[in-house]
Amino acid sequence: MSAHAPILAIAVPLLGGFATPLLAKLHKRIRDLWVLLIVLFVGVAVGYVAVHVFTQGIWVYVLGARHPQETVVSGGFPIRIMLVVDAMGAFMGVITALMALVAFPAALKYLPEEEGKTLALTLGSLLLAGIMGMAYTGDLFNFFVFLEVTSIAACALIGFRTWTSRAPEAAFKTMLLFSVSGLLFLLAVAFLYGEYGALNLAYVSVLLRGSAVDRLALALFLGALLMKAAAAPVHFWAPDAYGEAPAVKALLLVVNTQVSLYGLWRVLFTLYGGILDTTVGWLVVAMGLLTMVVAAFMALAQTDLGRLVAYGAVSQIGYMLLGVGVGLVTMSGRPDYGLVAMKGGIFHMLNDALTVGLLFLCVAAVELVKGTRDLRELGGLGHGLPEVALFFLVASLALAGIPPLNGFASKILIYEGSFRASPILAAVAVLTSILLLAVFARAFQGAFLGPRVNVEVRVPWPILVSMGVLAVGILILGLVPGFFVEAMVTPAAKALWLGRSLYLSAVLGG
Amino acid sequence: MTEAIKIETGQGYWAPLIFVVALLGVLILAVLIWSRGRREYKRGTEQELPFLSGEKVENPRVGALHLYWGLAEALRPLLERLRGWHSGNINEYAGWFLVILAVVVLLVLA
Amino acid sequence: MIGNLPFVVCVILVALGLWTLVAKRNLIKLVIGIGLIESGVNLFLVSLGYVHGGIPPIYTYAPSGAPMVLPTPQALTLTSIVIGVATTALMLAFAVVIYRHKGTLDARKIRDLRG
Repeated sequence: MSAHAPILAIAVPLLGGFATPLLAKLHKRIRDLWVLLIVLFVGVAVGYVAVHVFTQGIWVYVLGARHPQETVVSGGFPIRIMLVVDAMGAFMGVITALMALVAFPAALKYLPEEEGKTLALTLGSLLLAGIMGMAYTGDLFNFFVFLEVTSIAACALIGFRTWTSRAPEAAFKTMLLFSVSGLLFLLAVAFLYGEYGALNLAYVSVLLRGSAVDRLALALFLGALLMKAAAAPVHFWAPDAYGEAPAVKALLLVVNTQVSLYGLWRVLFTLYGGILDTTVGWLVVAMGLLTMVVAAFMALAQTDLGRLVAYGAVSQIGYMLLGVGVGLVTMSGRPDYGLVAMKGGIFHMLNDALTVGLLFLCVAAVELVKGTRDLRELGGLGHGLPEVALFFLVASLALAGIPPLNGFASKILIYEGSFRASPILAAVAVLTSILLLAVFARAFQGAFLGPRVNVEVRVPWPILVSMGVLAVGILILGLVPGFFVEAMVTPAAKALWLGRSLYLSAVLGG
Repeated sequence: MTEAIKIETGQGYWAPLIFVVALLGVLILAVLIWSRGRREYKRGTEQELPFLSGEKVENPRVGALHLYWGLAEALRPLLERLRGWHSGNINEYAGWFLVILAVVVLLVLA
Repeated sequence: MIGNLPFVVCVILVALGLWTLVAKRNLIKLVIGIGLIESGVNLFLVSLGYVHGGIPPIYTYAPSGAPMVLPTPQALTLTSIVIGVATTALMLAFAVVIYRHKGTLDARKIRDLRG
């Protein structure tokens, strides 16, 4: 069993997701138990893979062969589909599993039965499978397939509430943009296949010469993945999608965005690592700055709590783009500060998942209790829901990068790394954080402070437990960040920044 | 052990536990100063009402949009432009995707 | 020259599809635009695998030594077509729901989510 952990982490949620509606016919309790089992299994498998990868190096899993060596036939040509999990992929898997473990138990209590809970759980499970596939695959075409799996599952979840008019609208717009980006990704894969006759990421990477076709493919990859990762100015779908999806499921959408970012890093560092020049790095940095600033200002202009949090989430993507972008810019010289910025950007993915996840759960709780998310009508909820208010406060401060919470730990790495690249970058990042603090202070004041209002509905305990887990995670990551940075983030950053040759030799041998 | 509590940032380090200890010190100092303050505050009197320009307001409520009102007001032209940019029109969104694609193609091929 | 014709058609299809997305306002037409891009990409994939004078890549029936067309792009195209069906169906379903709510398919009028 344990030798097949990487593929099981993808296959179990995929097949289990399709089995969920059948089990729901038997009994609702069996279905709930089944979904929890799937998520627990993914958690265990991902944990096992992560421990293995962080202690023993890259795990190459080949489908249809007993040993990785049987894949590469004479002439170094790989013939089978493979999963390649390096430290960065394992790190992404850990984030995904963590968010799934938090989101699904909360979703079991949050989604009403009559609103198609079974189908929402199925879609969530499929989305989980797609995300895990994107994180673990070592094959370009498989990456495209999992990209489309996440697109379809995510958009079906966004437009899930068909009885409202806003949700289908958000879903249609998102789906249209996701489809275009997916098709252009496939076109880029086809370019590379036409030139090199291979789909294996490592093998293509070895062969890449930097011809005009390669560069055109790079441009298509970049456009497609930047869109899926919600970088400004192609981020327009993200606030709609995050805001309109059932708030508990928005956690998985955030992870979906992050895994697209991961795909972008994989393409830039591993696939094109040999021929990349700094222009692309500066493009990523510029779009990162634009994303964080535009999204923070837009968050200031919002009156809907869900949409405000959604814009806050988009602005955090800018920080990840900035951090890793600085790493890209400095990849040729490899100065220390480049690695610091990379670490910050990658650490911020984990921190962002926790803080934004907690904020969305708070939005879900507020919506459940008051039935509205309009900040002009909300107020005084802190008296009736002190726990939710506390959680929202912690998450807001973490998102705005206030020490000693986790957001600051990753942001200080980004600040210092990007300061050495150019002080302007760090200045913009710090000022945006201050603006975000103002935005979330506003949201906290509007929703939770003020004269007491009566609260009839209680927040179900699984949602509170999920929130508590995330809040404790925020505190732990904030108070002892060194442990996690040493154990997971530094290997992940090094796997991208320095580990290209390791990745290639792990797959192709030699 | 030292690695676990601090992270190197290239030019220095960030040790949250030291920060927390310092924060506690400052908090204790603040509580000490506060405890030496005047004790005229009485619950249930009109001292509890918020001070709004000295006027009595029925059911006073400071909503989300009242906070940082000046900042939002000063930024209004910018915010209006940004809101106009997020027009909700799917054609424009697709157009922006094409613009980014064109920029990326030019940058990469150049 | 005639051998490059499929690639020319691909470029025309993809360009038409992208133009549709920007210029057309009817949601159904936008979905058709996606369909055009998809056809272009699929045609590109299939043309990539064509070998002049090649036969179908079925080993059991092939005369020995005959050139075969590449099987992988055909597998890719099939997968891509299946995915395309799913995305198109989902988008059309959303268009139907939007029409029920709004009574219109004009992209200019479906702008509840803005700002």
